[in-house]
Amino acid sequence: MTALLSAELLKLRTTRTFAAMAGTAIGISLLIVVLVAAIDEGFSSEDAADLLLFDTSSFFICALGAVGITGEWRHRTITSSLLAAPARIRFLVAKLLAYAVAGALLSAVITLAVALVTTLILSGRGEETAGLGDVVAALWRNALVAALLGALGVAIGSVIRNQVGAIVTILVSAFIVEQTLAGVAPSVGKYSPLLSAPAAIRVVEDEPDLLDPGVAVLVELGWIGVLAAIGAYMLRARDL
Amino acid sequence: MAAIEIDGLVKSFGGVEAVRGLSFSVEPGRVTGFLGPNGAGKSTTLKALLGLVQPSAGSATFGGRLYGDLDDPSATVGAVLEDASFHPGRTGRNHLRVLAAAGGHPASRVDEVLAFVGLAEAAGRRVKGYSMGMRQRLAIAAALLGDPRVLVLDEPANGLDPPAIRWLRDFLRRLAAEGRTVLVSSHLLAEVAQGVDDVVVIARGELRARGTLEEVLGGGAVATVVRSADDTRLASALEERGLRIERSRPDELVVHGAAPEVVGEVALEQRVALAHLVAQARSLEDAFLELTGEDGAA
Repeated sequence: MTALLSAELLKLRTTRTFAAMAGTAIGISLLIVVLVAAIDEGFSSEDAADLLLFDTSSFFICALGAVGITGEWRHRTITSSLLAAPARIRFLVAKLLAYAVAGALLSAVITLAVALVTTLILSGRGEETAGLGDVVAALWRNALVAALLGALGVAIGSVIRNQVGAIVTILVSAFIVEQTLAGVAPSVGKYSPLLSAPAAIRVVEDEPDLLDPGVAVLVELGWIGVLAAIGAYMLRARDL
Repeated sequence: MAAIEIDGLVKSFGGVEAVRGLSFSVEPGRVTGFLGPNGAGKSTTLKALLGLVQPSAGSATFGGRLYGDLDDPSATVGAVLEDASFHPGRTGRNHLRVLAAAGGHPASRVDEVLAFVGLAEAAGRRVKGYSMGMRQRLAIAAALLGDPRVLVLDEPANGLDPPAIRWLRDFLRRLAAEGRTVLVSSHLLAEVAQGVDDVVVIARGELRARGTLEEVLGGGAVATVVRSADDTRLASALEERGLRIERSRPDELVVHGAAPEVVGEVALEQRVALAHLVAQARSLEDAFLELTGEDGAA
């Protein structure tokens, strides 16, 4: 499994897609917090801590996960991948883990960069800044969400093998289906995997429309497990 | 036990049988040509052997073991598939680094195989800029990463220029001389005929012939080419003996199913003077077309 995991991480690092999407995630995250920290006034330490949640890596790593596995079909590299390591389920598990690791690492880089930039700007303006405890909490919560969404992207892509179809499914689910559910049926919407459950893991305060963070993690794992199981079944049965 | 064993292999796609009860074996230390026209079932057979398609019945194994059950698959078997593809944005070297990592092979093998196939200078370029021949060389390099004892190559000469085809042929012969097993498929006989020890011929998913090149070459009916002073009379006499006559040129007959001795005997009986009498060499091409049912029908 270690060999497969390192091969999947190497695949990630050796295409421009990852660099472009990671760069975009870092750029957007920093742009948002720089604007807010530079323009807004009257920051408390809690407000400063909230800025640490502006980590956009989770959406990008989810899309990357879907692109990563559907790309195997699109470019027909699935055959060489399975010739090098013919155990198909292990191949899928390695991909799930690789995008979870990549998501966590990307998120950690973004959270630390956001913490550094906001601290410099806010302290320069004489505003309160986030404490070390806030940074550590944001670091692991953001990383956990990004790891889960990276794996979720792979799981979605394992079921919907068309690359465009997988990305459109993620966008429609996140910005239409889940938003609508959150508005009209919040008791159902809070179980949705792309927005509500990740928000529940990130947010510390009690929110009536969000799950308990521990439950949200289990819900997210449930979505990944079910989708990956369907994807594994399809992968195992498929002639290449 | 044979290095490769195909036993009663059947593969259906929907209601269509692509491979129908195919059985043959491949021995180590020999280059075996796996021949058949397009759509004969060669690629499906090789993919079943490599665990990429699930047989409907029968088995395809390496030394009795399925590809997926081998202890170290990519170090035991190297494969080049006809539809081998690459991520266009990845460099040749990185493509091999990924496969080396997945197969557990040392990273140092990457540059070794790149140099071996003549891609060292292009290794840092993205694959989308490679020619078809370069992609084929990259696929061969990938197959060699694990220094395997068995090589399975599906149409490996596709896209290669004549010097590269010669290089490939010499390379495969060298591997066989080292005791390795080489199974190479092709629908082009010319590129295979010079480099193989054994041939397996299939058509429409079924085995048509197997054996050494000489056995398959000489396995069919003989024919004699004859020119005489009176072709009409000679042809008539030969047909009376049940032989099939074909006029290859206005002044020349091809007598199927008869050796020159038989034709000469009939000519003597008919007192027809002969100007030319020779056994027709049965080329692999002829044997192939005859065996696969492609002669004249195509």
